[in-house]
Amino acid sequence: MICKATRIALGLWLAAWLGSVPVTAGTVYVASQQAGTLTRVAPGAAGISVGPAPAQAAVGPDGLIYLTHPDRRSVTVVDGRTDAVLRHLAFAGQPFGLAVTPDGASLLVGDWSGDRVVRISALTGAVEGSAAVGRDPAGLVIDRRGRLYVADRESRQISIVDTATMVRIATVPVGVAPFALALSPAEDRLYVANVRSGDLSVIDTQALRTIATVPVGAMPYGVAVSQDGTRILVTNQQAGTMTVLDAAGPQVIANVAVGRYPEGVAIDGGTAYVANWFSDSVSAIDLTRLVETARIPVGEGPRSLVVRTSGGDRS
Amino acid sequence: MRLVTRSAFLALIAGVALAHIAATHGALAHGPTPQKVDQSITIAAKPDAVWAVVGDFAGIGTWHPAVARSEGQGGNASDGRRRVTLKAGGTLDEGLDEWDAAKRTYSYRLSDADLKALPVSSYSATLTVTPDGDGSKVEWIGRFYRGDTGNEPPEDLSDAAGKAAMNRYFGDGLKGLKALVEGKVTP
Repeated sequence: MICKATRIALGLWLAAWLGSVPVTAGTVYVASQQAGTLTRVAPGAAGISVGPAPAQAAVGPDGLIYLTHPDRRSVTVVDGRTDAVLRHLAFAGQPFGLAVTPDGASLLVGDWSGDRVVRISALTGAVEGSAAVGRDPAGLVIDRRGRLYVADRESRQISIVDTATMVRIATVPVGVAPFALALSPAEDRLYVANVRSGDLSVIDTQALRTIATVPVGAMPYGVAVSQDGTRILVTNQQAGTMTVLDAAGPQVIANVAVGRYPEGVAIDGGTAYVANWFSDSVSAIDLTRLVETARIPVGEGPRSLVVRTSGGDRS
Repeated sequence: MRLVTRSAFLALIAGVALAHIAATHGALAHGPTPQKVDQSITIAAKPDAVWAVVGDFAGIGTWHPAVARSEGQGGNASDGRRRVTLKAGGTLDEGLDEWDAAKRTYSYRLSDADLKALPVSSYSATLTVTPDGDGSKVEWIGRFYRGDTGNEPPEDLSDAAGKAAMNRYFGDGLKGLKALVEGKVTP
C-alpha cells in the first residue's frame, strides 16, 4: 500500500512531468504601502525602504523591480539581485499601474488622475510618449509583442495601446470598476477583475471582445493565472477570500479564506501568494490542495506582489 | 529627431492638460492610495444580544450617537441599503455586500460620497461581533480613500483628515453601541 504522502508526491511529479510548461521557482516580493517597503516574502525577511506609499510593482526582464508612488510623483527602481534602491524617477502625474516593455528599456506608467498612460525611459524617466485612455487607469499588463492593456476603472473598459507608437488601438467594455488584469500564458485571453460588479471578464485578445463574465466574490481586486494556464486566481477584497477558477469554462472550483482585504496575488510554482492589505501579511496557498499553508507577517499595508525569476517576471 | 520634438510637444500639451485635470478632477473619484480605519470595543453582553442590536443593517440610528436617522431598503439581503442622515449634516448612502447572521458579521460600502458627512471619497467596511470571555468584542474596520484623491489635497480632504473622521465615526458608534447594550445610556 502506498502511503498518502507518496501518492501526493507521485502525483505532483507526474503533474510536473506531464505539464508542457516547466514550473520554475522565483523570488516573491511584496510592496507595502503604509510601511513604504519592498520585502521578500520569507519568514523574518527585512523590508527594503523604498520611500512613502508604494502602490504597484513590476519586474523587468533584467530582474529590476519598479514601484509607483502615486502621492510622491515618482517611480522607484530596485535591483532585485542586491536589494539596493538604485534611483527614483520623477513622474509628472499620479503614477499607479506599471508595466515593463519586453526589452526592459521602457516603463508604461498609468497616470491615475491624468487619464493617460505614459511611456518613460526605465533608465532616466524621460518621457518617450503618451496615450490618452479612460478615466482612472488602474491595472496595466503588457504582452510579449508590446501591446498594453489598461483597466480604465471609472470608464468600465479596457484600453488597448500599441506601445511602439503609443496609439490606443481599441477599447473593450467590461464590468463595473475594472482594476486588476492578467494575461494567460499563451496571451490569447485577458482576465479582468471588476471591483464593483464583483465579476471576472474574459477577453479574447485576438477578437478584442469579452467572451465570458463570471461572478466571483465581493470586490475582486487581484487576478493571476497559473503557469500552465489552467487556473485563474481572483482575490476578493470585501469577502476575504481567493477564488480559484478552472480556466476551461471558466468556472469557480473553490474559495479559499485568506486575510483581511486581500489585494495582489501572484503565483510561483505550485504556490499562490496573496497580499492581505488590512492584516499586514501574505498568505501562501497550496494550489494542489487549495488550502492556506502559511501566513507571513510583512510591512504594513501590503498591496502588490511580483515574482522575480532568472528568465523574466510574472505578477 | 522628429520623434523627440513630437514627444516634447506632447509632454508640453500633457503638462498643460494635467494642470487643468488636477484642478478639476472630481474629488469624488476613487483614489490610488487607500487608508485603514480600525476600531473595536468590548461589551459586557453575549454576542447574540449585541448582534440583536447591531445586526440590523438599517438600524444604525438606534445605537450610533452621531446618526439622526437611518432609512433602510431591501432589509439585510446582500443588496440591502441604508440611507444614514447624520446629526451634523450630510447623508451616507450605503449598500450591503455580505450579511451573515451565523458569523455575526456584515460588509458594506459607500455608494456616493458626501464630503459634508465624512471627508472621504469612498469606503468599504466590515462589522463583526465575536465572543470575548463572558462578553463580546465588536470590530468595525474599513478601507477608505481621502476626500480629494489628487496629489495636493486641501488639509480638510487629506489622508489625515479622513483618518481622523473615520476613526471618530467608527469609535463613537461603538461607544454608543456599548452604552445602549449595557443599558447605561440611551443615545
